[in-house]
Amino acid sequence: MAAPTGPLTLPAVVEELLSEMAAAVRDGAPLLPRLKFVFGSSAVQALDLVDRQSVTLISSPSGRRVYQVLGSSGRTYTCLASCHYCSCPAFAFSVLRKGDSLLCKHLLAVYLSQVTRTCQQLSVSDKQLTDILSAEKTQEA
Amino acid sequence: MAETLRRVLNLGSAAGPGKNTAEAEPPLLLLGGPGSGKTALLFAAALEAAGEGRGPVLFLTRRPLQSLPRRTGPALEPLRLQKIRFQYPPSTRELLRLLCSAHEARGPAPSLLLLDGLEEYLVEDPGSQEAAYLAALLLDTAVHFSHRVGPGRGCGLIVALQTQEEGGASGNALQLALLQRYFPAQCWLQPDAAGPGQCCLRASLEPGGLGPREEWWVTFQPDGEMTITRWPTQLVDTSLHKGSSSGGQP
Repeated sequence: MAAPTGPLTLPAVVEELLSEMAAAVRDGAPLLPRLKFVFGSSAVQALDLVDRQSVTLISSPSGRRVYQVLGSSGRTYTCLASCHYCSCPAFAFSVLRKGDSLLCKHLLAVYLSQVTRTCQQLSVSDKQLTDILSAEKTQEA
Repeated sequence: MAETLRRVLNLGSAAGPGKNTAEAEPPLLLLGGPGSGKTALLFAAALEAAGEGRGPVLFLTRRPLQSLPRRTGPALEPLRLQKIRFQYPPSTRELLRLLCSAHEARGPAPSLLLLDGLEEYLVEDPGSQEAAYLAALLLDTAVHFSHRVGPGRGCGLIVALQTQEEGGASGNALQLALLQRYFPAQCWLQPDAAGPGQCCLRASLEPGGLGPREEWWVTFQPDGEMTITRWPTQLVDTSLHKGSSSGGQP
C-alpha cells in the first residue's frame, strides 16, 4: 500500500517521518518515542487504533478508494485516500481551524496502518462507495 | 496543474511551447476579483488540454457560459470543443454528489478537471470542514481520474475562486488559507494599468515549489479578445517592479 502521493498536503517533515517509520517497522525498531515527539498524545491513540485493527481500506471495482476508521467512541470516520482529510471534529477544529495539529489520530492511524500493513480490506460496489463518500458530509457533530 | 496554464499563457509570446509533460502536478487555484478573466483563462486551458490528443476535459460551472470567450489563445476548433464536457451542478449538494459518484461514470476518464466559481459553492455552506471536504473531494476525484487514465499521464485540476476586494471579511481569509492547503499551486489575476476600453491584468503563477514565479500581462480588448504577453523575467526581480507585489521575492 503506497502512502498517498501527489498533492502536497502534508508538510515535508511528516512525509519524511512516515517513511522513516516504514524503515523502523522493517527493522523492528520502536516507533512510539519518535511518534510521540512529533504528534504528542495522538500518537498513542493512533497506535491503539492500529492495534485494534480499526482502519479499513474500502475499494470499489472502479479503483477508487477511501479509508474508514472506527473511532474509540464507536463512531466511524472517513479519511480520503488521496489527500489529507478526515471527517472527525478534531480535524475540523485542531487541524483546519486552529492549525495547531498536523493530523488527527484517525489520519495518523491510516498512515501507520499503511506502514505496518495492518489495514483491513473491504470491497464494495461502485454505488456503495458513492454512498460512503456522500454520507460523510452529514457526519459532523 | 500549472503546466497547462503556463502553456496557455505562453501561447502569445515567443517563449516557445512549454514542456508537454503531463505528469501529476499539484492542483492549481486560479484567483482573481470579479471580471478578472478567470473563466476565459479556464476555458483556454480546457481548449489547450482538449487539443493534446488525450482524454476529454470536464468543465464544471454553476451555469452555462454566457458566450464562448473570443479567441482565447488555442484555436476554437469544433473537434476541441467536442472534447469539453460541461456540467452545471446547480447547488453545493449536487456538486458533492457529482464528485462522490465520479467513479461510476463510464467512458474515458478526463485528462483535466476544471471548476469555475468555487466561491458560489462555498457561500451556501461556509463551515471550514465543508469547504475542506469540497476541496479534498475535488482532489480525490482528480486522483481517481489519474488512476484511470494510467501511469505517467494523470488528470489535472484547476479551480477558479473569486477573491474579495481588499479588506474582506476575516472568514474569507480563513477560507482562502484553508483552500491553499489543498492547492499548493496558485495563479493570481490582479488588475493592472489599463488603456482605453481595455482591461489589463497581471497573472502571477506560483507553481507550488516546482519552480520560480512567472508573470504575464493578460489584456482583454473591448470585443473580448484576449492577448497575453510574457512579463520579462528580469523585470520581476528588479526594483523596476515597484510596490504592487509584496512579499514572495527572493
